[in-house]
Amino acid sequence: MVRVRYDDVTKRYGNEIGAKDIDITVEDGEFAVLLGPSGCGKTTTLRCLAGLTDPTEGEIRIDGTDITDRHPKNRDIAMVFQELALYPHMGVAANIGYPLKVEGVDKKARRERVEEVAETLDIGELLDRETDELSGGQRQRVAIGRAIIRRPSVFLMDEPLASLDAKLKVEMRNEIKKLQRELGITTLYVTHDQEEAMTLGDKLIVMNDGTVQQVGTPAEVYHDPTNQFVAGFIGSPSMNFLRVRRKAPGSQRVVAADDATFSFSVEGLPTAVDDTDPFVLGVRPQYFSVHQSPIDGAAKAKVTVTEPMGDEQLLTVQLDGDGREIAVRAPFDVAITRGDTIWLGVSDERAYVFDVETGARIRQTELSTDTAVPTGSRP
Amino acid sequence: MATDTQPSHGVVRTVLAGAERVHEMLDSYGLVPTVTNGIALLFVVWTLFPVYWMVSGSLRTRSDLLATPPKLVSTALTVGNYPELFAQRPAFYEFLFNSVIVTVGSAAIAVLLGTAATYGFVNYEFPYDLGRFHLPFLVLTTRFLPPIVTVIPLYIIFDTAGLLNTRLGLVLAYAAFNIPFVVWMLKGFFAELPDSIVEAAVLDGHTEFGAFFKIVLPMVRPGLIAATIFTVINAWNELLFAVILTSNTEAQTLPVALATFKTAYAIQWELLTVAGTIAMAPVLLFAFLVREKLLRGFTMGAVR
Repeated sequence: MVRVRYDDVTKRYGNEIGAKDIDITVEDGEFAVLLGPSGCGKTTTLRCLAGLTDPTEGEIRIDGTDITDRHPKNRDIAMVFQELALYPHMGVAANIGYPLKVEGVDKKARRERVEEVAETLDIGELLDRETDELSGGQRQRVAIGRAIIRRPSVFLMDEPLASLDAKLKVEMRNEIKKLQRELGITTLYVTHDQEEAMTLGDKLIVMNDGTVQQVGTPAEVYHDPTNQFVAGFIGSPSMNFLRVRRKAPGSQRVVAADDATFSFSVEGLPTAVDDTDPFVLGVRPQYFSVHQSPIDGAAKAKVTVTEPMGDEQLLTVQLDGDGREIAVRAPFDVAITRGDTIWLGVSDERAYVFDVETGARIRQTELSTDTAVPTGSRP
Repeated sequence: MATDTQPSHGVVRTVLAGAERVHEMLDSYGLVPTVTNGIALLFVVWTLFPVYWMVSGSLRTRSDLLATPPKLVSTALTVGNYPELFAQRPAFYEFLFNSVIVTVGSAAIAVLLGTAATYGFVNYEFPYDLGRFHLPFLVLTTRFLPPIVTVIPLYIIFDTAGLLNTRLGLVLAYAAFNIPFVVWMLKGFFAELPDSIVEAAVLDGHTEFGAFFKIVLPMVRPGLIAATIFTVINAWNELLFAVILTSNTEAQTLPVALATFKTAYAIQWELLTVAGTIAMAPVLLFAFLVREKLLRGFTMGAVR
């Protein structure tokens, strides 16, 4: 049983924050994905676990044992780097078997294990090649082979698929997932690609500005984001954010916060925004209902771009009287062309409300009275 | 046209235009390869003739070598000069031995320290960007002075330290003066190594020390070889320090010995050519054997 625990880990580079108050747990055999834009601290967080970066504060435990000050080689951790870091002066077999060589495993046993791992990764026929003769995908497999041959207790991957083309990426993604399931090794995986994160992870750890924004299953972070950052980062195309307010206290009609240029109805808004103070309304492109004639409670908009995508079409529309463009998904059989006027409705259970200042989510359930201060969840 | 981008110096422009016209004319007759090869051949003759003259001279009698008009090709070759050299100057063995010791010793120290220093400069964090540029540059500044300027204080220091006329003294002096070359030759090689290689090695079970020797050094091998050759050649050929810091066969090296063939009364040309050939042979042979690695080392890394 290998459980990884970060206990208030902070890493500072001089005055700059690399990662702050990281407080996460990865359970035994779990596939955790650290997700966030570049510079968000996800790699720093991973490197602290590997021992390649020393945390400024906090502790990291594996199975309850504090390993914060332990040398990387004594942590029983393997890592696949973004650049793969294959040893160019060694062949494929030597690369894969290198950790065992350092460990002092004899040549015969080493060869057997290398062949076994190569078999698992489907690169048995490449063992006698040089690394520079391999394709991107093959090099990837060699790097993974070198990482798993020791059967480490924790497996780290830092954007390992970043340099592959789209098709190969999907292929390798599936294989990594399968392999992780088979081996059952606790895994931390860093990526900035939310699609990759959603498909791979049992648990997503969404980071921004060096702090953890939300920890949860892919479905949780997608459907129940804790703040505007997570809501906007997860999902493609991104969630639309509109700065709005109620038309009148208690009204279900919302209007553009500054100039009331557009308006539409959203039922079931949190009571915390019952007055006419502005808030941010978040709606994913697919949760608008698209109408070609005026209906009650829908906002008028003009289509500026249509992108047919097979089963559906992606529209860029301009809300009436407002310069702001938003993305809307519509079924492919709705005949819409550029310049058309449409009406957009919002299904209330899919509209998210965020605090204008902090970006924190404002939930219905957490607030019971009109006077409650919007707190949302932890940013 | 190339001349358009040149500064508008009338002479330069005229010469370039003329050269271009000549090139066009040669091209129209299909003579460009002939002319370029001819120029290359001239260069080869120019650089190699002294070597030929010395080696052939070592196989000729004194009268044959000094004949007027000079004989470019001799018919009466002899190897007699070689035993004659060692008979007349039995100390020649000692010079040879000193040269080997001083060269190998200084090259080993220079490459070892230089490599370690360069790795440190490139891979460790220094405040104010010291490691990336300023410290290596400071190391290089030791080569800005004419050697004759440093040799006098060095003489005094060596005298005090009891290093005058010792092989150890020359080893230390040569090592110190070769380290800058090693640092600057290897800097580019180390800078090109991705950090993740060392990190991967550490996660694979190495200490940083182990990763340096087992992973980093093999990866910069072309640079190491080039740096080694360079320091060997430098040390083997050095004359000025050896002349001033040594006084007898205890520590004198081959270049010093060669200088002694020119005496107040005569120059022993036939013996000098033998000694010169012997002094030149090891370096030439060495460079020839590793020529591919030498070229790779000079063209990879820093110089790109």
